[in-house]
Order: sequence, then structure tokens, then C-alpha cells
Amino acid sequence: MVSLTTLYEITFGGAILAFIAQHTIKQLRTFIVIVTSALGVYIVWRLPSQATDISFRLGDFQILWGVNEYSQLFALLIAVLGFFTLIYSIDFMKERERLGYFYMNFLIVIGGMYGIVYSQDLISLFFFWEIMTWSSFMLVIYCCDDAQSIGLKYFVFSAIGAYAMLTAIVLIWANLETTSLSVLFENFTNLSSGLQITVIVLFIVGFGVKSAMMPFHVWAPDAYAISPTPFTALFSGALSKMGIWGLGIVLLKLAAQSGFYVWVQDIVAWIGAITALLATFYAIVQTDAKKLLAYSSIGQLGYIIVGLAIGTPLSIMSALFLAMLHGIFKAMLFMSAGAVFYRTGSTDMNEVTGLIRKMPWTFLTALFGIITVAGVPPLGGFAAKWMLYEATIQSGHYFLVIVLFAASTAAFLYLYRFIFSLFLGQEEKEYADIKEAPLTMTVPMVIMALFTLVVGVFPGIFINPIGNAMGYFGNYTFNWDVSSLLNEWGNHVDMMTVVMTIGAIFIIAAIFITIKNYRTTRYVTTKDIHTSGEIPTENENLTYAVDFYKPFERAIAPVLKRSIDKTYNLIAENLESAFDFLRYVYTGNGQTYALYVVLFLAVLMVFAELIFGIQL
Amino acid sequence: MSLSPVQFIAVPLFAAFLIPLIGKASKETVKLVPGIVLLYLSYVALNLFPRGLERPIVEHIAGFNPPFGITLYYGPLAAFLTTLVTLIGFVIWLYSYKFIIREPFEKYYMLFMLLITGSTGIILTGDIFNMFVFLEITAIAAYSLTAFLRDKDGAEAAFKYLLIGSFSSTFVLLAILLIYMQTGTLNLADIALKMADVPITMKIFILILFITGLGIEAEIFPLNGWAPDAYSQAPSPVGAVFGGIVVKATIYALMRIVYLMFNFHSVLHFFVIMGVITMLIAEMSAMRQHQIKRMLAFSSIGQMGLVIIAFGLGTEPGVRAALFQMFNHALIKTLLFFSAGYLVFHSGSKHISALDGLGRDKPLTSFFFAFGALAIIGLPPFAGFWSKLYILLSVADAHLVTVVVLILISAVIEIVYYLRVVSRLYFKRETATDVRRTPLSGLAAMGILAVVILFVGLYPNTILDWLTPAARELMNTSEYIRTGLHLNSGLLSINF
Repeated sequence: MVSLTTLYEITFGGAILAFIAQHTIKQLRTFIVIVTSALGVYIVWRLPSQATDISFRLGDFQILWGVNEYSQLFALLIAVLGFFTLIYSIDFMKERERLGYFYMNFLIVIGGMYGIVYSQDLISLFFFWEIMTWSSFMLVIYCCDDAQSIGLKYFVFSAIGAYAMLTAIVLIWANLETTSLSVLFENFTNLSSGLQITVIVLFIVGFGVKSAMMPFHVWAPDAYAISPTPFTALFSGALSKMGIWGLGIVLLKLAAQSGFYVWVQDIVAWIGAITALLATFYAIVQTDAKKLLAYSSIGQLGYIIVGLAIGTPLSIMSALFLAMLHGIFKAMLFMSAGAVFYRTGSTDMNEVTGLIRKMPWTFLTALFGIITVAGVPPLGGFAAKWMLYEATIQSGHYFLVIVLFAASTAAFLYLYRFIFSLFLGQEEKEYADIKEAPLTMTVPMVIMALFTLVVGVFPGIFINPIGNAMGYFGNYTFNWDVSSLLNEWGNHVDMMTVVMTIGAIFIIAAIFITIKNYRTTRYVTTKDIHTSGEIPTENENLTYAVDFYKPFERAIAPVLKRSIDKTYNLIAENLESAFDFLRYVYTGNGQTYALYVVLFLAVLMVFAELIFGIQL
Repeated sequence: MSLSPVQFIAVPLFAAFLIPLIGKASKETVKLVPGIVLLYLSYVALNLFPRGLERPIVEHIAGFNPPFGITLYYGPLAAFLTTLVTLIGFVIWLYSYKFIIREPFEKYYMLFMLLITGSTGIILTGDIFNMFVFLEITAIAAYSLTAFLRDKDGAEAAFKYLLIGSFSSTFVLLAILLIYMQTGTLNLADIALKMADVPITMKIFILILFITGLGIEAEIFPLNGWAPDAYSQAPSPVGAVFGGIVVKATIYALMRIVYLMFNFHSVLHFFVIMGVITMLIAEMSAMRQHQIKRMLAFSSIGQMGLVIIAFGLGTEPGVRAALFQMFNHALIKTLLFFSAGYLVFHSGSKHISALDGLGRDKPLTSFFFAFGALAIIGLPPFAGFWSKLYILLSVADAHLVTVVVLILISAVIEIVYYLRVVSRLYFKRETATDVRRTPLSGLAAMGILAVVILFVGLYPNTILDWLTPAARELMNTSEYIRTGLHLNSGLLSINF
């Protein structure tokens, strides 16, 4: 039986079973988790051909679940990433405590995300959205002491987003008496224009928080960095895409109908571009690998938002392409950082160094990851960026292109830092007997890495389903080859040729370097070169990665100084002290309370006419 | 013996008198009495419920016909609330079974039974003076229960409660006197019929007295000063009794009187505003509390503010949402007080900071607290989600978008202070371990509540089907008057 109900039953049931198993028969836990997520992949894969819409009444609302190609795109990403990250977690989480709690919430997050993308009405959307939020909160606070305030910040921002969304839902209900998405799309123009823009803005805030759009991004770096790595991969890879999923609907289905579309487009596109640029700057100055990746994630989501906002067929294509791809490569990068953490116990880029020989597969994954992020052929990132630039130029957003280009170029800095400081550089003695991560971790990573290569060579395997998914937004026709990119001017990039060329260059370079170095190779320890034979004093810094981009940091310091995070903290502190002041209304003195009662009565008596009106 | 609504009042009252006598013979048996009584009442409630939904049962005490005799009115609303009170009462007894082990526990159970009597009496009675009597029974039992631990703080809290509570009784009694002077009747339905003839100034004066008097017990700001102290100094199950039963009954009394006698819109808007103020101030105060039970008390006040807002809308969806919220709050706040009671017990301190890392040592109790916290914030798939959603929708239907925003802001504050405690429970290092275990009866009580909360969250229809007729009953005053006085529909033509 393949249906949405079975999908939910299996996923949420698996979550509960995993928890129970942890407390009864521990050995079963992993089995349950893996089988649940594997079944999830299978069901999601089979859904389009089998599933029928499910509709029932819940309270006053008509609940509607259904499968369309747009949701299918995201559901597949969730299912596959969920499966891979769970396999990865088997060894990663082995020694940790409270695994029942961990896996239960992990599966609930996955179930919540399925629920979101398959809901066709606002109530079930919100229902699953909140389930996803609290279960992911539970995972963010899984780990450490300072997880408390980070988790709280995550939840408060999520709640603000969710409640913005809820306000919009409530407004729609009050004015259109419907919660169905399709009815909303049809009747959206019946709302007054003031209401239209309110609903649009509220939804953009709601989905923007989850997709870490500035200025609502402040929860993201810390929450990504502190959550357990298998979950971080899913968090950044799939959960943030729920925001993108929603933004796509709001921008292309709702905003597109309103008179404000041009404004909304420009503003959101600029917010996206600024998010991309600033996040890149922040990423450059990070010293923790996971935090670096977190900022990188925010930046990438910025690109996706730009693509959605511009709203031409090509830009939507590029945004969804990047969204899918980002899900994969960011999961890869987080997983490789996690593998490093698993072996060394740290992701501090000032400490961990020179792991290339020790962890070659992890290195390979990281390398593929950064090449994809950078958008360099032959990997998939190239196609995504290429389409995005072309769409932006085509639609006449020239300044936007400059910003995006700057962000993209600056991204090379942090990407290089990431791979250099963890994998290249000095081999430290303390990491001398590090081994490669276990198979359960490397296999999913390498599979995904190879997949980015496949996507690079055959972008069509993404472009075609995305083209179908875009049918949800209107009738766009794409007839693209599996292995080439086209544009509307008739230009044509055959990816096969590109890949062959690059491959050839790579091989020639490799041969050349080998031949050139063949005779002159001399094995010395790396320390020898670094210190030129002198014995370094203890406080001498031997790790290149420390202060990697000091001049650059100095240059962008003024930008980073005005952190919006500080403003939020200040607001929170002031509010708390205001509340503290306010609570002394309750003095604890019985006489004061009696006085309140008398005063209340007196005020009502005196202002009775004013309060209750006289025309009774 | 055939089942009748009188039993909701008579059986616990009889039990309350019986308990000291049984206590003379065997102390252990005393503990079982309230359980048996409440179990029986739950049976009565579940049996009468369908009949009450079908058509209201009007019972005449001592054979006098209305408007002269005392009547009990068991319609859908009373059916719903008595069922709620008996079920919550039963769970509270189950929890108290091992929690209240201190002498003189037979007095505790006696007072508890009196409190149940009073609350069901308030809900059922069709006579306003009778309602006053039951309000007093409830209040006096509540004062004594607050001071049950016989420590300094408890006595102080009880004294404050008594002080403010005496204001409450005075005002209510005064209002009833005035009504009697004006209309010459004490029957609620009869008063409602004759209220139209009362001069408008007098009407407003009576209304203000009722609002102040009942507002004290219903925790409307600024009349709720007694509440935080009483909730936090009384034993934990008593906190649950206040939040789950007493406040619910008094809110009912206030709303029944307002809807029946003063149903005009400016009054209702006044309630919306008072509800908003109550909610906001309570939530803000809750955020800065250092003691867990005080925090819960303020949160309770905040939730009542929400209920008052929804009642104040004066629309059927609004009333229904308010009743739904009352139901959920009764369950969830009881669960929270229960788990907080054992958390305080195990940590040995009332302070939130003492709860660090208790989640590892006492996983189930902490789990129930976390469960309750998520539920009361209004997160799906728990029951609290639906009632909050319905309140928001009904507020928006009344075109009060500002109120929607304020409710959501207070929800964000709520998130902050509840999750602070939850993350402390689980994610701070362990400070101390306590070898004592949470007793099974306590865990069972919490388990029952948690299951119901989750069930209602997943199948809200089960509750909503009951609530719709209950809300209609409160709104439809002419129907109440008609059945309350046994009038033929033709005779009745009143217009508010």
C-alpha cells in the first residue's frame, strides 16, 4: 500500500518505535530507524504513480493532502537525505547518550517535512510546520551546555516566523473562509490590496525565517554549528529547503497575482543578494568548520531566494536546481566536517590540520563539495550558477549580478580555507594515528560526491524533473537534453565536452607534475620545510590556518561590526528588564492587592458610562 | 437509584461529611473514598452526558416549581463542565494518593470533596443565591487547602486569598441583593426574563459588582494578586485544583451571568480588553519568575486571559473556542502542576535553577513536564494547538487583528519561559540525584492526562462535537429561560 497515510504512519510510527526500542531492545533501534527511512524513500518514489489525494474534515477545516510534482521534488530530497544522514549517524552517534530521544526526533523531523510538502491546505501545513520546528529544536539542544540559549533563539525566531504565517492563515480564513491552497490561489485577487500585501509579507517572513533570510538569519549559524552533525546535514540540506518551498509558492503563486509583484520581486531579490554577500563575508572569518559551513549555507540560500524572486522561467529553474544541489553538497560538506570531528574531536580549523593522507575519502568528498559550491565545472554547481547569472542578466538586474558575482568570488576564500586548514597543511603529531572514518560514514558521502559529478555531466537529470515541477507555477516548456544546457538565445553548452576538456587538462597536468617531480622527489617531514631546520619555540605558530585571512578580515571588519544579532540581544535584554519591572505589580502584599480591587471597582463605577456605553 | 444531576452535588457533599467519621475508624480507607466517589461521578457524568445533549434536564429540589424552588439546570454546557470537573478531580485524587501523605490527610480529602461539591454546584445550579452558597463553599475549601502545609508561606498566601476572597463574596452578595430587590426573584432564568425592566444605572451597578466579585476568582487583572501566592504555596495537587477546577467554575459563573443578564456588546468588548491585559501582564510576569510553581500560576492567569478574550467575542465560534481552551487548559495545567510537584519534591527546592539536569535522573516526570510545556504553548500535535487556533480564528472573524497579534506575542513570551525550564531539565549538567522514586499513582495520573492531551490533539473532533451544543446553549439565552422556567415557546418574547 503506497499512500500518504502509510508514509506518515510509517515515519511517525518508526519514530515512536525507535524510542521504545532504545529503552527495551537496543539492538533493534538502528534497524528500525534505517528500515523506516528506507521505506520512506521507497514510498516517496512510488507516490506519484499510486497516490490519490486524501481529504477529510478535522474540526471546521477540510484537510487535503496530495502529491504534485513540485512537492515531489522536495519530498525526494528529504527522503534521500534523511536516509543518507541516518546511515551516517549509525557510527557517528554510537557512543552518544539518549539515542532514543535523538532518533525519535530525527524521524519526527523527517515526517514533519513530508507533511509540509504534501499538504494542500494551510492548516495541515501549519500543523506539520510546527511539528518540524519543535522536533528540530529538540535536536538543536541535544548536545551541550550553551545549547540552551542557542536553542531558545532558534525556537523564538521560528515561532516568530510561524506566528507570522499563522496570522496570514487566520486573515485568509477570516476573509475567504477557506484553508485550501488551491482555493486561495484562485481567489487571492478577491482580497483587498492591503490585505494581499499583508498576507504576502507575513508569509515571506514565515518562510524566510526557516530559509535563514536576512535579517532573520541570526539563529542559523549557531543552531547549525551546535546540532549533532548527522542532523546538521539534514537541517541545512533539507529543512532549510522547506522555507524555499514556501517562498516559491508565496512568490510565484500569490505575489505574482498581486499588483505589487514588481516591488516584491525586487525587494526579495535584493534581500537574497545581500544575504548571500554578507553571509559569505561572515563565513570567511569563521574559525570553526561547521560555523563556516553554516554561513556558507545561509549564503547559498540567498542565491536560491534571488532565483525565486526574479521569477523568469530560467531563474526559477536555477533556483530549484540550486536548492536540490545545495541539499546534496551541503550535506556532503557537513558530513565530511563531521567525519573529521568523529576522528579528531574538533572542527576548529586552527587546530585540526593535514588530514589528507589520513582521511582520503573524506577529503575527496570535501573537495567535490567545495567545487560544487564554487560553481566550477565539471560538477553540478556550474550549471546552477550559470543559469542564475544568465537569468539575472536577462531580466536586467545588472547590479544584482555584480553583488552575486562578488559573493560568489568571495566564497572561494572560505572554501579554500575550509579544505586547506582541515586537510592540507602540516601533519600534526597528535593526529598521526587517525584513521579514515568508518564505512557507514564514507559510503553515503562518496555516493553523494559522485552524484554531484553525474549532475555536472548530465544536468538534465535535475533539469527535467524540475521542469515538470515548474508546471505547478505555470506552463513553462523546457526541452533540454540530458547532458547540455541551453538558453533562449540559442547558446548551447554541451556539458560532456566541458567535462572531457577539464578531465583531459586534469590528467595532463597530473602526468606532467608526476614526470617533472619524478627525479627530484625527496621525502622530508613537513616540519623541516616550515622551520628551515631551526627548532621552533613553543609559542611559535606552526599552523598556517591561524589568522588565515587576517588582512581581509581587517578590511571587512566595519561591515561585520554592526551585527544585527547584537541588536536582537539588546532588544531581548531590554524587554526582560521591562518585564522584570512590570512583575512588581504583584507586590506580594495583601493590602496592595485589596487596594487594586477597590481601585478597579472605583474606576469601573466612575467610568461606567465610558466603558459600557449609555445607549444600553 | 436512577441517575440524576443532583448526585454531582449530593454525593461529594455526603462523602465530605463521611470522611472524618471514617477517619476515626481507619485512616487508610479515607484515602480511597474520594476516588470511589469521583469514579462513580464520572460514571454518572458519562451516562447523563448524552441525555443532557439531547435536551436539558431541569431538576427541582424539594419539589417546588420554579421560580420559587431551587432548580438544577443540566444542559450541554453543564454536562460538559461537570464531566470535565469530575474527570480532572479523579486524576487529581489519583495523584494525591501518594503525594498527600502528611497528616492530617483526611482533612485534605474532606476539603477536596467540598471543593468538588462547590464547583459542580456552581455549574449546575439555576438559582443565583444557591450559586453564591456554592461559591462560598468552594472559596472556603480553597482557603484552607492553600494553608494545608501549615508553614509560614502557606498561611500568608491563604490569608491574602481570604482577604481578597472576602471582597469577592461581599460584592457578589451585594449584587444578588440588588437583583432580588429589583426583580423579586433568585431564579436565574426568571431574573433574565425580568432584567429588561431594571433601570439601566442599576443594571450597570450590578454588573460592575459581578465583574469585580467574580473577576477576583476568575483571575482577571488587577484582581488576581492572590493567585500566584495561593497556587505556589499550596501543595501541588491543590495548584492543579485551582487551575483545573475552581477557576473554570467561576469563569463559568461569570460568563453565565453576563450572557444571561447583561448580554450587550459593549460589555463583551470590555471583556476582550480585560482579557488582553490579563494575558499580557501575566505572561510578562511569568517570564521573570524564579520559582517554577509561581511561573505556572502566572501562566495559568495568562491562559485565563485568553479564555476571557474568547468569551468576550460574544460569537458562537468564540464561546466554543473559549470552552475548548478551558478544557485543554484544565488538562494541561494539571499535568504541569503534577510534574512540577514531583520536580520540586525531587530537587528539594522551589527554584527553577535547582532543576538542572533532572531530566536524566527523573526521565518520566521530566518528560511529562516537557510534554505539558509543548502542549500549553500550543504546538501540534497536542490539544493546546487546536484551541489556540480556534481562538485566533474567532478573534480574526470578529476583525480584531490587533488582538490576534497580541495573543501571538504573548505566545512567544510563553515559549521563552517554558522552554527555558525544559532545556534546563534536560541539557544542564546534573546537579544532584535523588534516590526517591516518583510513585506509580503519580505517574499514572500524569500518563492519563498526557494520553488524553495527545488524543484530543490528533482527533479534535471528539471534543468539538460536544462543544458546539454547549456553546450554543450559552449563546441562546431565550432557550435557557424557556426550559429553565418550563415556559411554552409562545409565551416568551423578550428582546435584549
